[in-house]
Amino acid sequence: MLEVRNVSKQFKSGDHTIKPVNDVSFSLEQGTFAAILGKSGSGKSTLLSLLGALDKATSGDVMVDGVNVSTLPDGKLTAYRRNDIGFVFQQYNLVPNLTAKENVMLPMEFARVRRSERQARAAELLEQVELEADVHDRKANRLSGGQQQRVSIARALANNPKIILADEPTGNLDEQTGELIIELLRSLTRTQNTTVLVVTHDMALARKTDRRFRLAKGSLAEEFDRSRAR
Amino acid sequence: MLSVLARSVGNAFRNKVRSGAVVVILAVAIGLAMSMLVANQAVGDRISALKGSVGNNLTVNPAGARGFQGGGEPLTAADVTKAKAVAHVSSVTGTLSLRLRTETATTTAQAGTQAGTAQGGPGGGDGTTSLQSAVEPGTLGNRQNQSGAQSGQGPQGAPGSGNGGNGNGTVRTFTLPVSATGVAGTEDANGNTINVTSGKQLSNFAATSTQALVGTTLAQKNNLKVGSTFTVDSTKMTVAGIFDGGTVFDNNGIYLPLAAAQKLTGQTGQISALTVKVDSIENVDSTKTSLTNALGSTRVDVTAGSRNLDSAVSSLASVQNISLIAFIAALVTAGLIVLLIMIMVVRERRREIGVLKAIGAPNRTIGLQFVLEALVLVVIGAVVGTAVAVFSSSGIASALVSANTATAGARGGRGGFGGGGFGGFGGGAQLIGNLTTTIGPGTLLGGLGAVLLIAALGALVPAWLTAKVRPIEVLRGE
Ligand SMILES: Nc1ncnc2c1ncn2[C@@H]1O[C@H](COP(=O)(O)OP(=O)(O)OP(=O)(O)O)[C@@H](O)[C@H]1O
Ligand SMILES: [Mg+2]
Repeated sequence: MLEVRNVSKQFKSGDHTIKPVNDVSFSLEQGTFAAILGKSGSGKSTLLSLLGALDKATSGDVMVDGVNVSTLPDGKLTAYRRNDIGFVFQQYNLVPNLTAKENVMLPMEFARVRRSERQARAAELLEQVELEADVHDRKANRLSGGQQQRVSIARALANNPKIILADEPTGNLDEQTGELIIELLRSLTRTQNTTVLVVTHDMALARKTDRRFRLAKGSLAEEFDRSRAR
Repeated sequence: MLSVLARSVGNAFRNKVRSGAVVVILAVAIGLAMSMLVANQAVGDRISALKGSVGNNLTVNPAGARGFQGGGEPLTAADVTKAKAVAHVSSVTGTLSLRLRTETATTTAQAGTQAGTAQGGPGGGDGTTSLQSAVEPGTLGNRQNQSGAQSGQGPQGAPGSGNGGNGNGTVRTFTLPVSATGVAGTEDANGNTINVTSGKQLSNFAATSTQALVGTTLAQKNNLKVGSTFTVDSTKMTVAGIFDGGTVFDNNGIYLPLAAAQKLTGQTGQISALTVKVDSIENVDSTKTSLTNALGSTRVDVTAGSRNLDSAVSSLASVQNISLIAFIAALVTAGLIVLLIMIMVVRERRREIGVLKAIGAPNRTIGLQFVLEALVLVVIGAVVGTAVAVFSSSGIASALVSANTATAGARGGRGGFGGGGFGGFGGGAQLIGNLTTTIGPGTLLGGLGAVLLIAALGALVPAWLTAKVRPIEVLRGE
């Protein structure tokens, strides 16, 4: 269960402050597949970074299974990011001089998973995102944008997180591969009871989610429309 | 841990050109540091060897005098008492050094036939003896005799050879004086027990004693055996024993009871040198200072061993200091290089550090990764640098030492010991000899340990900087 209560984030740029996230509240049951929609610059990435404890909210609380993440000490936050959250970055953010496989193995290394196990699981995850074996050992900075995006998704899944926060996970993929990723994320919510929250402009993806939210002028509103994909 | 190390090694060579340059600079700094350490050790070893060779003895001379040269006021029995009261002094032996002219030569000279030749030995003499020197003057002796005569320093006012009457232009005959040492015990002026090969040690130390020890070659030359007699200043002395001093020069001497020697030569109560034994070698330096203070620095010179040794040790000590400072400076340089380069690297990889944090890397893992990355560069630099040091340190150490002894020698040359002294200076350089450097495993490990420590210290600041990077940096563009 993910609960967001009155979360705000403001940035000071020069003499005026902007509030891309302003008093946002919502909650998601465990295993929900949800989407956040919104114009560019509306604060979607900012909200996601607050949920993933990459940044601290100016005010408000983020509760995960009853634990207030906003008040956790740094050490616990690290563990939270490592074990409970899988983050797919809008810019992929792979470590450029490591191979695809090594990138996927990183979160498991931090979680002290045995090396042989890490390698096996990384290979398996890369297969799941349709990356062939010959790509596994290629340096991340030699991969195409779409390949990097898929490595980034595989990395987010590595530690079997409770919550996956994905910032435009299909933004760089062709329709077919995008479908595949959507199916993969969706199946996780069904089989692993993982909560998946995606930021997207992709209507094909949005249509497959259980719930949709729209972020505009800092406020989040849930959208209900006729074509629910359940 | 292994993966962290693997990543560090990989990261160390992400920018090959920069890493290569850094390794070269580090190699130079570390190589210099290692050479300096090796030089420092070699010099340190030599110093302790030199110091060990004199043991824990100090020699006290009247200020401005050494052996038979120079001036100053003689030491007295009161000085012996004062020296004994100084802390860490375990024993004090006073000796009186004398030069005895051979009677026949003096007689001839006084007769005026060869004025200015026989009397003109360096420093003249304190008395006469019936003994003939066992050492031929040879070229060295005659040269010294000449210069001594020319400078006209004989105590009896011997005229120089230029106005030496009928000595002019003739081949000058000349005998070396016999050196006599007045001792108050069974030890010589260096504090070593006199090596008596036949007969007995001196046992009667009264002023009226007629006992004497005679050196082997002198005894041979004069047909002396234990029980034979000879004269010193017309007083009949009896040979109590024959000694072997180890060198031809030493064996051309005699030992007399101190009081008797003082009385015979009219120097009652006077002592030319004190030999002070210090309780342990560590206390030699401090005792030297306190002894000088106790006896008055204007009255006495206190030396550890010979002056040559002193100059050798002091020039070596300055080399030791220089090399130590250079070692530390080179180490600090290496540390600074590591510090600056790693700060640069951390700034460059802020975003990547943010990624690692965002996917749950603990601060210490990231910090460790950066420290290891720095150490990878340092270890490679150290390997290259040490290899260079192994081949160059011997040369560097020798160059340092010879440069320093050259200046020390020049300094010594300007002061006092000019002309026809006793072989002049340069003894210090001889004592130092050729400095051979060996890189022992201990030195190597110690040096590498210091390098790694400094490098780790240099890497700690950047590593600490990584802890300050927040995971949100990951969303910022570069
Ligand atoms: N660190 C910051 N300092 C100042 N302003 C910021 C900062 N981070 C984000 N912003 C601003 O906050 C607003 C929201 O940015 P955000 O990245 O969340 O938008 P977004 O909805 O993800 O847009 P896009 O769809 O283009 O990715 C933008 O106007 C951005 O300029
Ligand atoms: Mg965004």
